[in-house]
Parts: sequence; structure tokens; C-alpha cells
Amino acid sequence: MTSADSRDPAPVETSRPSLSSTGQATFDLGLRMGGLVLAIVLVALLMFLLKPKSFNIDVGISVLRAMSSVAIMSLGLTLVIVVGEIDLSFGAMYGLGANSLAVMWILLGIPIYAALPLAIGIGALVGLFNGALVTWLRIPSFIVTLGTYNLLYGVSLWITKTSTFNPVYPPPGSEIPTAQLDFFTGLTASFGAHPISFEVVWMLGLALAIGFLLHRTLFGFRLMAIGGNPVAAQLARLPVTRYKILAFVICSMLAAAAGILDFSFIQTTQPNIGLSFTFPVFAAVIIGGASLSGGKGTVIGAMSGALLLAELQQGLALLSPGPHVQQLFLGFVTIGAVALDLALTNIRKRRAA
Amino acid sequence: MNGGLEGVRLRGLHKRYGATVALAGLDLDIRPGEVLGIAGPNGAGKSTLVRIIAGEERPDDGELLFNGHPWRPAADWRRVAVVHQEPQLFPNLTVAENILVGREGATNGWPKLGSADAKVMKAFGIDRFADTPLADCTLATQQRAEIARAVARDAQVFLFDEPNSALTDEESDELFREMHKLAAGGRIVLLVTHRLGDLFEHASRVAVIRDGQVRAILEGDALTEDGIAEQLVVGRDGETNVKTCAGIDRGGGSLVSVNDWSHAAAFHDIALDAKPGEIVALVGVEGSGARELLRSFAGLESCSGAIKIAGEKGDRAQRLSAYVPATRMLSLYSNFSVAENLLVRLGSPEIAGVGMALKKKRMRQLANEATRRFLIRAHSVSQGIRSLSGGNQQKVAIAQALNCAPRLLLLEEPTRGVDIHSKREIYRLLRDYVGADNTVIMFCTEVLEVYEAADRAHVVVDGGLSRQIVVGDYPHVESLATEISRMERHARDDGGARRQL
Repeated sequence: MTSADSRDPAPVETSRPSLSSTGQATFDLGLRMGGLVLAIVLVALLMFLLKPKSFNIDVGISVLRAMSSVAIMSLGLTLVIVVGEIDLSFGAMYGLGANSLAVMWILLGIPIYAALPLAIGIGALVGLFNGALVTWLRIPSFIVTLGTYNLLYGVSLWITKTSTFNPVYPPPGSEIPTAQLDFFTGLTASFGAHPISFEVVWMLGLALAIGFLLHRTLFGFRLMAIGGNPVAAQLARLPVTRYKILAFVICSMLAAAAGILDFSFIQTTQPNIGLSFTFPVFAAVIIGGASLSGGKGTVIGAMSGALLLAELQQGLALLSPGPHVQQLFLGFVTIGAVALDLALTNIRKRRAA
Repeated sequence: MNGGLEGVRLRGLHKRYGATVALAGLDLDIRPGEVLGIAGPNGAGKSTLVRIIAGEERPDDGELLFNGHPWRPAADWRRVAVVHQEPQLFPNLTVAENILVGREGATNGWPKLGSADAKVMKAFGIDRFADTPLADCTLATQQRAEIARAVARDAQVFLFDEPNSALTDEESDELFREMHKLAAGGRIVLLVTHRLGDLFEHASRVAVIRDGQVRAILEGDALTEDGIAEQLVVGRDGETNVKTCAGIDRGGGSLVSVNDWSHAAAFHDIALDAKPGEIVALVGVEGSGARELLRSFAGLESCSGAIKIAGEKGDRAQRLSAYVPATRMLSLYSNFSVAENLLVRLGSPEIAGVGMALKKKRMRQLANEATRRFLIRAHSVSQGIRSLSGGNQQKVAIAQALNCAPRLLLLEEPTRGVDIHSKREIYRLLRDYVGADNTVIMFCTEVLEVYEAADRAHVVVDGGLSRQIVVGDYPHVESLATEISRMERHARDDGGARRQL
């Protein structure tokens, strides 16, 4: 072989080197992302045409705020789905994150600086529990996390004694130091000329971190491998058990973080918060192109899915055509996105054959 | 009788999968009342033929006649029964329900066993399991249920596809008795198996398939185990013998040594040594324990005994080996590109640096090097793995294992379903690899592969290892095939004698 450009079998440097995905998958991803961006723009345009007056930058910012907790959880769920498992418990973990923090801080008087890492730590333990049952006892993750969902919700009800908490109005006998309250509300304080909550910054930061983890590190590479072919990964002696457990741990920790951030922003917590996030988060991840059979999924996709959902939710709230429209939309978008994906794959396969 | 109109008649069957020709104008007559054996090396078209007769696959061209009438097995599935090594039944239903499924009749209620069905079950000796869930029955009972199910629906064509590879000797004797009963009842019976002894003992005629055609039909005096063994390997052009230093003793110690190596079920008391620079073949049929033995060297089966590789013992030794399964499905990642597939077994520091961050440039460089070194034909390393040809996929699978620099490479049927050109290249790669003072141990079911690639071979029968065969001592592949089939027969006879004592 004399030079790389004279012969075609020699792999030559392409103009856009992409290793993380195959040429075809890059194209697929482009198509998927293009479709998603198009949908996001179209929905925005539609809102603008229908209600030009209420369409301004502040609405856009409120969409970003509204999507942030769903987006943060979708990051964790993406990892679990990529490795070929399912987590149904993150919604309940969101609730437990906020409620355990409230109980430790407001009721038990543990300073927020300790209670906050402890609450996140509870998330890590829950993830460890899920992952250990899935890998060591080989119970299907669907069943394990369905159980954990109920367990966590039960614990939330138990420790809060089914009551609501607000650090600004602590129950009689408890006192919240102002410095701690300021620190807590400061987590999601708004800033700038058009007030934007710091929660959005947390979301973007976490998305960058998880994006790096999934798409740029050995950890992410092996998650993709394990999800793509678990048997081969086992035969090749990849650390399948450890990586699966880690995916569950990160997922639960992110859910706890999302619950705490929302608590900080809304300032109240109830025992049942988070449960209703379960399906929207799944929808976001799946609309974003992740495959439930594993080995496929991107952070940018999950984020876009979350954005589209929040946009629909906020826009439809503004237009107020009735609560049914939002649900119908969510249903169509979820099925439609995957159906479109499959149709395109089939067309391509037929062309290749 | 009526001039060959009876039975199944296949004429000019053609079938291709992409670029691979599976059947190239196959002609075959199967008469009622006989057991017709089918033999052929892997990739000869045997399984395609079975799938076509079973109606799972349609030929591209050619005709099938049943008693003189054109026949489409896919539409006429009730007439055909396939008895697999693993029964294709419903494990959650009882044996009786399994017999009934698909013929429930006009009832809307839970179907009941008719008297005819009960009689069939009795005839096959499974009536006492009628209410047992199939999953709780032994494999032999499940196979009987499968046969009974077919008899109950009055199937006429019975395909036994490697039926006894997971059965005990007594169980397979009984299975074959049922098979002969079916044939004696005027049904059409095909027996497809790798075990030449079974073909010799149970088939009245044996059709040898090579390259998608029937190349020989052995019957009468011509039907012997050696005869079949020779037919399986003759007429190969362009044999790809690449041995340059075959069997040369370079002195020095062995790289791999295994002693008192036993497994709970598959094999026992194995002692094996292999030197650097050597390719050793373990020859055995499915169920002989050879596959498990190979996997055990990589630590994938739990075993007792001593293993030593390049001075290391136990787990640390097994870490110096890399295993490549027979099916590419078990080593390749369809969601990954060629590059990612090549590098997936690597870790830090080869492809990842500080904070586990992937070294993308280094990865691309390594992947490009590997495609050149392992002669993988791809337009780009970022192309999807499934867009490569089978031979190139196999090279990726082997390269993936070699990339983590093992001292011992463990291969299962390394050139199964691979074109002749890629095959030659794969053998050359293995030669280069052992040339650097490494060792290859491979599990083979084909004598030709042993002849072309290996320096030494051991035959594995019933979990025991034969004495070694030095491949270089055999002038042509036929003589090696005869020797291997002879050793298999002896080992079996010895085993049988031991059991009778």
C-alpha cells in the first residue's frame, strides 16, 4: 500500500470524521434530530400565529424552566435505557429526594449543607439497590423498579406523615436560619434582565456532564456496547455488572437532584410529587431516539424531547383549548416519532437489499 | 409402484442469500419408508435445504413435488414435522395441550384431548406426562411430544435435524427406534446430523451435500463411516494450506498447560499442552464437550483442575486468553461501527485517558491500523458493522479479540459461513499471530478446517480427549478424515464397553 488515497479499500480520513456513530447512524441521528428541531420550531410557530401577543421571551424562558426537571431525569433514564434496562422508579425518587430533604432539614433540623448531600446520597443508595437486584439476583429491571417505585412512594408518605412542607413557613417548633433558607432558594434563584431561574443552568450543566460521560468516555462507550450486545460484552469480559449498577445509581441520583431543585424553586413539597413525571420522562427519551432494546440513545435527543414536551405543555396552557389536547398531542408525538423511525429504517433496508 | 411418483422430489433448487449461494440446483428424491441421511460440511446448504422442506424458507428457483404434485411446504405446513435438537413447542402448556395446539377444533372452550390423540400419546409413551407442563419434562420427552404432535396431525414428512446432540445414549436409541417406526409406517424421514456413526447405523441412504448440490448418494456397501467422511472433504479446489512451520518443535516449554481439568457435565480429566507457535484443533460434534472445553480455557465455564498460561495460573492465566464465539452475533455489536467493534475490548490506557475520556484520535488511528493489519475491507472504519460481508465481519470479530493482545486465542469454528478468499486470509492471520510466540486453540466440526489450519488435533468424544493427531502426517484431507472418524468410533466403542461393565 503506497498511499491512502489511491485505493478505495483503505479507510481514508473522511471530511467529517465521526467515530461515535456509524455513517448511517449519523445520518439517522441527523434525520431524527432534524425532525425534532423541525417539530419544536413548528409548534413555536403555531403558537405564535395563534396567539402573537402572549408570545415573548419570558414565555420561552418559562418553557426552559418547566422542562428542566423532566430533562434532568431524562438524562439519567437515557443511561439506563442505553445499557438495556428500564427504570420506573425515578419519579418516586424525585419525590423522595425532595421529601427526605424537607424532613431532614425542616423537621429534624439538620443543616441544609448536610441534608442536601444526604438526600442525594439516598438517591445513590436507591440506585445501588435497583442495580444490585437487577444484576445479582437477575430480576428483570421492569419488575425491580416497579417495586421500588411503590417502596419509595411509601417511604415518602411515611417520613412526611403525609404532610406538606415549606421552608418559609416551617411547622411550629422548627426554625430555619435565614442563611440556610437563602442558600436553598439560591439554588434556583432567578437572574438577568429577563429573569431566568438558575435551575436552567443546572440542567444545561448536567446535560453537558452526562453528554460527555455518554458520548466521550470509556464509560459511555461500554454502556453502548453492553446495551447493544450483553452476551458479547459478558464473553469479552467487560464489567457488565458494575456498569449496569452505575447507570442505575446515576439515574436515581439525578432524579433526587431534580426533585430537590424543583423543591427549591416551588418551595413546597408534597408526598406524591414526581410520580406523574414517570411517563413524560420516558416519552422525552424515546422521542429523542433511544431504543428500549438498548445500545442506542443520545443526550441531545433526550433534551430535545424534553424541550418539545415542555413547549407543548406551556403553549397549550396559554391557548387553553382544554386539558385533553395536551394528552392527545403527547400520545401522537410519542407513537409518531417511533413509527417514523421504523418506517425510515424499513425504507433504507429495502433499498440496501 | 407408480414410477417414482411417490414421495418428495426436489428438482433444481436454487437459493441465494445476498452474495452467498446456498443451494445451486439441488436435486433429491426422498422415498416413503426409508430413512434418508443428509451429510455435508457447514455452509454446504444443509440447513437451507431443511428450512425449505420445513416451509420456513422459499427457494428462489426449482420445484418441489409431493407424490407427483407441486408442493409448497409453507402453505402445507401440517404435512411436515421438524424434530430439532431443541423442540419448538410451548413450554408453558402441558404435554397434552402441546399435542392439541393448532388443532383445537370448533370449540370455544378450553380444548379437550380426543381419543385419537390419546392413542397417539400412548403409542409414544408420553400419556403419563399428559398433564405435566412441558417445561418440566426431560428433553427426550419433549422431543417425543414434538413427534407425537406431528403424528396426531397426520404429518407425512419428518425432518430430524441434529435430534440427539443433547440426549443420552439410551434416549437417542429410543428416539431412533421411533424414527424407524415412522419410516416403517410409510412416512418420509430425513435425518440430518454431523454424527457419521448415526448416519451409518440408521440411514438406508446418505446424500452428501457440498456447495449447494447433492454430490454423492451412498447406499449398500458404499455406505460406511469412512466413506461418508471422505465424501465430505473430496473435490475441494484451492485448498488453503498455509502451514509454513507446521508441527516444528522449537524446543522450549509449553505456553498452555492444563491438567486434571474437569467440568460438572461436559468433560472430565483433560490434560492438554500447547506450545507457542502452534494451532491446536479440538474436533468434536455438538454435545461432545469440545465447545465447553474451549470456553473453559477462557474462564467461561466453572471447572476444577489446574490451568497455566504463559507462567500465570488460574484466573490470571485465563485473563491472558481471548475467546471468539462461533456466531458473530455473539461477538459483534450491531449498534456499533467497524472501529467501535474493533476496539470494544480495550480500555484504559489504550483508548481512554484522564477521567475515562476517550482518545478519539488514537481510536481512529488504532482502528485504521487494525483494518490494514487484519485485511478488513471497509470503505471507512466509521461504517456500520452490518454493512460488511460475512468474511470481513469474521475478521473484525477475530481482530477484536486479538486487539487486547492475548497469548492464547480461543476460536470456535473460525471460518464457518465464510467465503474461500476470506477463509484463506483468516488462516494467514492466525499463522502470523502464532508466529509471534502465541497459541491458538480452536474448536472445529469440519475436518477440512483442521487439515487446512491446524498443526495438531485432538478428537473429543463424550467429554474425553483422544491422543493427539499430527496433521502434517496425513498427505491429504481424506486420510485425515478417515483417521478422525476412526478415532471417534473407537472412543465411542471404548466408552460403550466401559459403561456396560
